[in-house]
Amino acid sequence: MGVIPTNALRGTAAIVLAMSLALAGCSESNGGGTNQASTSANGGTDSASPPAATDNAKPLDISMFIVTPNQAPAPDNRIYKKIQEELNVKINMEFLVGDAQQKIGVMIAGGEYPDLITADTKLVAAKAVIPLEDLIEQYAPNLKKHYASAWNKMKDSSDGHIYWLPNYGIVSGQDLGTYYSGPAFWIQKDVLKEAGYPTPKTPDEYFKLIRDYAAKHPKIDGNPTIGYTTLAYDWRTFPLLNPPEHLTGHPNDGGVVVDDGVAMVFADKDISKRYYKDLNSLFNEGLMDKEAFVQNYDQYLAKIASGRVLGMFDQHWNFQTAEDTLVSQGKIGSTYVGFPLTYDSSIKEYYRDSALPNLNNGFGISKDAKDPVRIIKFLDALMSEDWQKTLSWGEKDVDYKVGDDGKFYRTPEQRKQQEDPTWKLANRADGLFGALPKIEGTFSDGNATSAGNQPGEYYDSLKAEDKELLDAYGFKTWMDFFSPPPPNPVYYPAWQIDLIDGSPAAVANKQMTDASLKYLPIAIMSKTDKFDRAWDDYVDAYKKINVKAYEDRINEQIQWRMKNWASN
Amino acid sequence: MRTRSPRLEPAAFHSFNAIVMILLAIVTLYPFLNTLAISFNAGNDTIRGGIYLWPRVWTSQNYKAVFAGGAIYHAFWISVARTVIAVVLNLFLTSILAYAVSRKEYVFAKPITIIVVLTMYFNAGLIPSYFLIKDLHLLNHFLVYIIPGLISAFNMIVIRTYIQTLPEGLIESAKMDGAGDFRTFISIVLPLCQPVLATVALFVAVGQWNAWFDTFLYASSKQNLSTLQYELMKLLSSSMFSNSSASVANGADKGAVHNMVTPMSIRASITIVASLPILVVYPFLQKYFVQGLQIGGVKE
Amino acid sequence: MEEIPEGHMQLNHAETAPMLRASRFRRLRDQKQLMWMSLPILAYVFLFSYYPIWGWTMAFQNYSPAKSFGEQAWVGFDQFKFLFGDDTFLLVLRNTIAMSVINMVLGFVTAIAFAVLLNEVKTRWFKRTIQTISYLPHFLSWIIVTGIVATTLSVDGGIVNVLLMKLGFIQEPIMWLSKPHYFWGIVGASHVWKEIGWNAIIYLAAITSIDPSLYEAAEIDGANRYRKMLHVTLPGIRPIIIILLIMNLGWILDAGFEVQYLLGNGVVVDWSQTIDIFVLKYGLQIGNYSLATAAGIFKTVVSIVLLFSANMLAKRFGENRLI
Repeated sequence: MGVIPTNALRGTAAIVLAMSLALAGCSESNGGGTNQASTSANGGTDSASPPAATDNAKPLDISMFIVTPNQAPAPDNRIYKKIQEELNVKINMEFLVGDAQQKIGVMIAGGEYPDLITADTKLVAAKAVIPLEDLIEQYAPNLKKHYASAWNKMKDSSDGHIYWLPNYGIVSGQDLGTYYSGPAFWIQKDVLKEAGYPTPKTPDEYFKLIRDYAAKHPKIDGNPTIGYTTLAYDWRTFPLLNPPEHLTGHPNDGGVVVDDGVAMVFADKDISKRYYKDLNSLFNEGLMDKEAFVQNYDQYLAKIASGRVLGMFDQHWNFQTAEDTLVSQGKIGSTYVGFPLTYDSSIKEYYRDSALPNLNNGFGISKDAKDPVRIIKFLDALMSEDWQKTLSWGEKDVDYKVGDDGKFYRTPEQRKQQEDPTWKLANRADGLFGALPKIEGTFSDGNATSAGNQPGEYYDSLKAEDKELLDAYGFKTWMDFFSPPPPNPVYYPAWQIDLIDGSPAAVANKQMTDASLKYLPIAIMSKTDKFDRAWDDYVDAYKKINVKAYEDRINEQIQWRMKNWASN
Repeated sequence: MRTRSPRLEPAAFHSFNAIVMILLAIVTLYPFLNTLAISFNAGNDTIRGGIYLWPRVWTSQNYKAVFAGGAIYHAFWISVARTVIAVVLNLFLTSILAYAVSRKEYVFAKPITIIVVLTMYFNAGLIPSYFLIKDLHLLNHFLVYIIPGLISAFNMIVIRTYIQTLPEGLIESAKMDGAGDFRTFISIVLPLCQPVLATVALFVAVGQWNAWFDTFLYASSKQNLSTLQYELMKLLSSSMFSNSSASVANGADKGAVHNMVTPMSIRASITIVASLPILVVYPFLQKYFVQGLQIGGVKE
Repeated sequence: MEEIPEGHMQLNHAETAPMLRASRFRRLRDQKQLMWMSLPILAYVFLFSYYPIWGWTMAFQNYSPAKSFGEQAWVGFDQFKFLFGDDTFLLVLRNTIAMSVINMVLGFVTAIAFAVLLNEVKTRWFKRTIQTISYLPHFLSWIIVTGIVATTLSVDGGIVNVLLMKLGFIQEPIMWLSKPHYFWGIVGASHVWKEIGWNAIIYLAAITSIDPSLYEAAEIDGANRYRKMLHVTLPGIRPIIIILLIMNLGWILDAGFEVQYLLGNGVVVDWSQTIDIFVLKYGLQIGNYSLATAAGIFKTVVSIVLLFSANMLAKRFGENRLI
């Protein structure tokens, strides 16, 4: 409280923060962000069907609200112009700024919607969107084919209708992914090199590498070496909270591990204690970052970018920017390789998962849309390979070239202009494309569906150090450090389960996170002989929480999914 | 004005005071300079930390990102328009009300004061306010920036308190001369209130200039009503989003693009872009409350 | 110096009002203009501030925006029970009040001291420059300011630890942000840093209204700098200080949440969590508007009680009053 607070100013502050939380929302629940494209060779080749003959006779205006932040495109944007010319559709987009909860709450209260709106479960409850399954069956062959493998999963768990068109996670053709963005125990390449490129399989082996290297190099670039760090800031709590599920060979289910279809909260169980006890030992040896539980996200990135952090558990995308900084300084040895550790080498690791349809995401058609048929036809037209190439790669010769072998590539100039924000606003339709359903993997002609995954582009980006390291392990890509994912369990992933706003399960979820963030640092930073007591306090704190309400909701949904998703 | 009896002013006091002021200036200038330095430093280098007063890797990229697309030029003028109009109307109406409740003989002075003051202590919430704006047909209308903020309770109290410190004789004598309350207010009270009006003008202007929540709630689907702050918010949101999981994991073109411009560097450049125009206004208002007005004709 | 500045004496004229013995009718007629100047505005205030209070009914529902008013589930006082029944509620209340009081005291003292001292600077450009600079941090968002605070207090080369170690006050860097009992102070200091210049503006404006003849009179009495500050400047801005104090007391449960959220962490949560953070976590973030409304009502009730008490106290001590 300042001396001159006014309601208006305080309100603004509230929103700014709420916004940062809302942004977090897109990868809420400890599990976020593992929906990276990954191999699933189920596809064969999807040949492009020509755009269904759409009734393009009269111009159509489509209004959209997209619940992810983006900048409005330039008024004369080349791609939107092309859409208008060829499909006779004029798009009027609004992107989210600020807090999605508030915006959607107000929109629902007001009861008026744009034609297309991206997913939120509240919109279904408010009957703001219309069922799509009949429209797709009748008018949208491309969409129907695209979603064939996910059809049942897309059905709403309360009434069995399809309301949303997932925008990611349905891979066709060959998955050319080379970049691993998911969770792992990361370790600096220099550490591996010095140890002769070993493959740590357990925390013991992994921490031993760190101990040995730190003992030999107490300082890096004149500053004290940090053996291991973690992060528990704002919504980015998964680096601290998620390791136990992976160490026990479970995939990323967020706050629970699922065995035989039964979910259990693991944070306060012995499988967790074991890992945090390791951190306690590291801490007492002075290898654990003292500031780990206090630092904010920027400080965390700064530490990693300084090259002093030997290892941490994290999801790759979460520290990618820091790694980019290291690369730009030429410190390739300080960048990281991820390893899928388990407590015991007999436990089969499960870090990578198969591509997941991004359920409860993507567009739905609102009840206010005047011409749903025309709209679904429009979306279907954009699902054709030609349009997908235009939206992803751009226009032939302008944005990319085609080699003699039929492979797409970009010239250095073309690559450079893709980095220019002004150019992009005038020449790409990223805002729209992000929310649209899209082909992932490869097109029928074998080209990657995105420039970043084109093999040529990937090998160009490897540094000499990287090649040496990959050769030493006998691998081609960073994905090879992980076992190929098995088909996902039917219910997977539990972290996508909607806890229902304001329910006891949602409250319990918050309380559990609070308790973990409060008690785990105390336990880890206690003297070795005090650890057990600190742990008991933690377990007691969990006993006061209605953990069962949370588990029940998850289990109920897992059961539902197993019943309804078993067949496609 | 120099004081007349320097012997009473120990030189020590002035030196001490100057030192305190300079220290304070250094401490309060630092965060701004730091932000300025970060705004001119390459985003992927800023990640490393250690930028204090001077950029390490110069770039204008962070500003280019702000001006990319050009939407902010129009938005800038909308911000100027709403700020100017709101300041004029708010100042006028709030000070009229303040004058009325400052009149001790006015029978409704106290009830009105209570009613207005209480508005500072409750908040009906988002949804009822939204309905009100909707029912008044103000959605997606420029006036939604002006009408809900015509009166400020806090500012009314500040002005009233100031009016009460003015010599009562002035107002009395104006009335003796047959002036009504409105004329007294316009010709006697308003001119005397310059310092406090400048202060309140600053409060209202800064509030209006920084506001983006009303655009978010009531005018977000109309691009030509977008304000500078809203456009900057949009930019910040999208840069934060492009550094988040969904984008990095799913995004086609990882690498180069988003690490050039990070949320931290964008935040710095938009802070500078957003605050410079309003800072320019300050010196014009400042003379009213730093200089110290001679209360016109009261003394001497 | 015993004389009371002229301006101050004017303030208590409300008591002298009955002395104007005008007939009721004449008074009302005389006040026609005042009514024209105030009643339309009052109608506006009713429409925009009071009418939307119907939204408070949400506090007694499980509000869902998808439902119409008639369809909402009424839950009585359940939201309040959840709020007051939580184990941490008292803790959160304590933190809120403590940080409010600290921020208020620090905010008032530093801003007033700054305004008074700045007023003593006689070199015009210097005075203006200092004032301009001092209010710059107000324009930075909390996320930037807390970022700088965290860097400054870091054990990893943060300037505060470096200085303290160089000066020999400490041997080991202190982890400021993981020490619960430092948290309130750090928040208070951050507020001062960000808002001192901004908060001082209002006092600087008030100082301009002080009758210069009072300074002259004081000088003739042989008062020096300090005495003039103490006996002319401060009493001159006393009305506005009292008014702002009363108003701020009403905001005692508004300790904010942004700075606490951004600077806080699991280790200090028992000292950093405020009512607003609690409401954010268990209300807005999980779509429970009703809890936020219930907390709002609670805060309003407390505000109004405090406001009227403070106003009454002011009256008893013969100070200027808000209402």
